[in-house]
Formats: sequence, C-alpha cells, structure tokens
Amino acid sequence: MTMPIIVVEDFVKKYGSFTAVDHVSFTVETGSIFAFLGPNGAGKSTTISTLCTIMDKTSGNLLIDGNDIATDKNAVRNVIGVVFQDSTLDYKMTVEENLNMHCVFYNVPKSIVDERIDLVLNIVNLSKWKKAMVSSLSGGMKRRVEIARSLLHIPKVLFLDEPTTGLDPQTRANIWEYILKLQKERNMTIFLTTHYMEEAEISDKVAIIDHGKIIAFDEPSELKKQYTKDIAEIITSNERGLEKLLEKYQMGYKKRGNVYVVEVNEVASFLEMVGEHKKIIISLEVKKGTLNDVFLKITGRDIRRQSNANDNSSYV
Amino acid sequence: MRTITALMYRNIKLFTRNRLQLILLLIMPYFYLYLISTIFKSVSINDSMNYVLAGIVIIVVFQTSLNIATSTIEDISSGYMKEVLVSPVKRVEIAIGQILSSTTIASFQGILILIIGYFFGMKYTTPITPLAIIAFMILIGIVFSSFGLFLAASVKNAQTFQIISVAVTTPITFLCGVYVPLSLLPNGLQFLSLFNPMTYATAFFRALSLEKLSVSADELVAQELAFKIGNYVITPQMSVIIVALFGLIFIILSTIVFSKVDFTRVTRPSGNKDIFQQ
Repeated sequence: MTMPIIVVEDFVKKYGSFTAVDHVSFTVETGSIFAFLGPNGAGKSTTISTLCTIMDKTSGNLLIDGNDIATDKNAVRNVIGVVFQDSTLDYKMTVEENLNMHCVFYNVPKSIVDERIDLVLNIVNLSKWKKAMVSSLSGGMKRRVEIARSLLHIPKVLFLDEPTTGLDPQTRANIWEYILKLQKERNMTIFLTTHYMEEAEISDKVAIIDHGKIIAFDEPSELKKQYTKDIAEIITSNERGLEKLLEKYQMGYKKRGNVYVVEVNEVASFLEMVGEHKKIIISLEVKKGTLNDVFLKITGRDIRRQSNANDNSSYV
Repeated sequence: MRTITALMYRNIKLFTRNRLQLILLLIMPYFYLYLISTIFKSVSINDSMNYVLAGIVIIVVFQTSLNIATSTIEDISSGYMKEVLVSPVKRVEIAIGQILSSTTIASFQGILILIIGYFFGMKYTTPITPLAIIAFMILIGIVFSSFGLFLAASVKNAQTFQIISVAVTTPITFLCGVYVPLSLLPNGLQFLSLFNPMTYATAFFRALSLEKLSVSADELVAQELAFKIGNYVITPQMSVIIVALFGLIFIILSTIVFSKVDFTRVTRPSGNKDIFQQ
C-alpha cells in the first residue's frame, strides 16, 4: 500500500453548540474509491466541505496529498476536483465558456486549454454541445458538464457529493463508466458521498456515518459479511410442512402475507435442504444483504425512507 | 492577472448579452433629462440642460457600478461562487476582477450618454475636458463598485440585499443634487447631503464638464458646485479628494470582507437545498 492520499485525524466541526462532526478519523488510499454513506444531516457534506477547504474545521488534522487543509489551502485546491451536490455552473454562459473559466482558475496553460476542453467533453459525450448555453441543457447534461469541468485540471482526488442524485439510471450508468475509466487510467482517488447503495458497493472502502460519528468502516463485502445475512423468501403450498422443516433445521422465520422470510447462514446448504423438499415450494428467492441492511442493523433505522433499486441477486 | 482579465471578459460579455437592459439604460437618462431640466431652470442655474445632463451621467455611472453587487449576489445564490472559491484563485484577484469589470461597464455607459449628449449641445472648449471626464468616471466607477462589492459580500442574501440596496441607494441618489436641486431641500436634508459622497462626485463632475473649475468661489456656491459650511468653502478640487478617500476606504474594506467572508453559510432560495443544510 502506498501512503494514504487523504488523512483525517480526530476531526471535529461544531456549529455553535451543535456538533456536526464528532472526532472522526479515517484514511483513504491513493487510487481507491471511498464512499461516505449516511442519512441527511449525518455530517457527510460538512466533512467534504472541510476537506475541500471552503469550510473551517473546529479541530483535528486533515491532510490531502500531504498538505494541511487549514494552512496549505492552495496546495490542496490544486490537487482536488469537486462536484458539489448542488449545481455550481455559470448558467448564463456557454459550456465552453464555463470550462474555459475553470482552466483560468486552475491555471491550466493556455496552449493546452482547447485540447483539454475537447478531451473532457469527449469523455462525457457532450462535444456537440460545446457552444450551447448551460441553461438550455437538461439536468443530466448539466451534471455531465460539471463532472467534465472537475476533470479539466486532472485532479489527484475527485470529490463527488451525491453526483448522480436525480439522474435517470442510464445517465447514472454512463457517468459511472466515465468516472471508473478515469480512475483506472489516471490512478485518481475518488471520494464519494451517496444515497445509492449500488454506488457505494463499487467502492473499495465504505465509511458509514451517523450523527457525526463513523459507525462502520470497511470494504463493502466485509461490512455485509459482518452485519447482514442472506434472506430467503419462500412461498409454499404446504405451510405446515415448511414450518416443521424450518423448525427442524432451527432456522428463524417471519411470515409476511403468504411469504416466509428466512435468514440464511449458508446459501449452498440451504439450497440443498430446500431441494430435498422442492415439492412443497412454489417460489424461492434468495437476496444478498445490502449496505442498507448494514446501516439498518447498526442504527436500527433505514438510510432513506423510500427504497432504492437495491443490488438484489436472486437464485433459483 | 489572467483571472482578472477573464473575469472582466465574462462580466462584460454577460452585460452585452442583456440587450434590453442596455437599451433601457440608454433611454432612461434622456427621459429624466426631459423631466427635470425645467426644475433646475427655476433655481437660477445657468445652462440648466447641460448642468442636469452632467448630473445624470454621473448618477448613471454610480448606479451601473452598484450593479456589481446584484451580479455578485446572483453568483453567490446560483452556487457559481462556490466553484470559484474551491479553486486556487486568490480571492483578492476575484474582488479586483469584479470591481474592474463593473467600472468598465459603468464608464462605457457614461461615455455613451455623453456621446448622445454631444448632439444635445454638450460641447467642450479643450480636448482635455473629455479625457478628464473619462478619468473621473473611472474613478467613480472604482469607488462605487468597491462600495457595492462591500455591500454584497456583507449581506450575501438576495432577499435582504434588495431591501438594503433600496435603503442605501435611495438617499444617495436623491440627496446628491442630481434629480432635485439641493437648495430646494429642507435644511435637515441639505445638512445630510453633505455626508453623501455622491454630492461631491456630482459637484466636481458638473464643474469639470461645464468647464467651471476656475470660476470664483461665490459663483461656484451659487451654482451648487461648491458648498459652504459656515465660512468654509468645499471647492470642487476638495470634493475629488473626499470622493477618493471614501473610495479608498471601501476598496480596502471590500477586499478584506470579500476575502474573509464565509460564503458557505448562505441561505439559498427556498426549494433549492444547499449542501450545507444536509
């Protein structure tokens, strides 16, 4: 492992008497994807804003690429790209003018500005819209312009604060394709906050934050292994028989309508067991545990009220 | 330097894209000229037409430079300011870029009105006068752009700014002798007008464009181009110094406030959730 590109030690941020971030510490390895997961008000955006140098910390040490975010603001700003949750585009200017201004702000040499603009527009598939006014673009296109813009100065760390919220699944998939390609090509580190579980699941490390504290920090698969079980949903033609069977194997179950919900420890042996009694099974679905389940398990609350297209893998 | 020129280019481009505003800004001064030149005839002012026109030119420069505040507030509430602030650009450069672009637009506006005014009979005896006029318009542009930027950076919120803007610009506009001769104001307001920097800007600009800088103190006072406080006469020359001092204070204040202010805790228009309210 190389040296971590982001180091956060004992970070505290208070607004008056309210503590938004409470003694948080973590590191992010160079070239990895790091996801920050948590409900609204958990302290995600406060942490991102502080790392991006636009908000002052109350206490703690925060380093990006070896530069202190409090004392070497400009060194930090030079190596990061940020896509904020809310649009920060200049709506009254064209796409090209927006990108041009960014190059000026980040001191991209004049001789390569045009080439760079074409490159990033190509990445997000918006070359045709170079001369269009930003205000005339659709929501998804604006988001893509914003991502393109954040790549113009080739940042070492890309902060994405809910980058795909409100976008349709296809646009979301496209944007992710570009981001992952860039991450691999340039060994870029990605710091992500998201509500979407499938976005968190492609990350190398996930930190779950709630009430300003990190309550879990690991690889997504480890978190799921640790905190969730696979769930089987069974519909049967012989309820009495199934109940007896489950009791015999000492498996707890809940009944939802005519569906039996069973926690499964070992999928393979469970399928074997069910296979022996397939005559009484009408349908069977096995769901993998999700990061949402992890969150639910740790906090006892759902990460968002409305459910997402979760990463459900089904068997049978 | 690159940032300053790029910001100027951006703001001037934005200004030219707003055609309606441009046309209105050119028509309105002549509407006022028609409206108020008769008032000034009644207070024994010589050459009242040009006297009024000169006042209107400088008040337009003042108003246009204050537009910087509105556009800065727009950039803050649209979120664009955040893009600027996470970049390695120095905030002082942004402040200077904003002030200079607003000054350029304001002076350009003033020059356009003067060019039209030329056909209304605004003539000069020496070519130095128009050059001095442009130089003074640039000075006023810088002074009140800094003032506007200071207001914008201190208020930050679009709704509050509208109220503040009216509260600040109305007295400055009406207590400077452009629309209403100062001698027609009640004594209390006449006294207040002496604390208005635009009073001095207007007086000097009129004296300059009517080429009356070298006439006697008594005549200057009679024409409201100089002011008598007790036995003390504030000449147009001293007016420039007052305006410049006022400007210097606000150039310093606006760059300090703009560099220090925390733009992250800005209330955005409702329905537009800010990331920091997350």
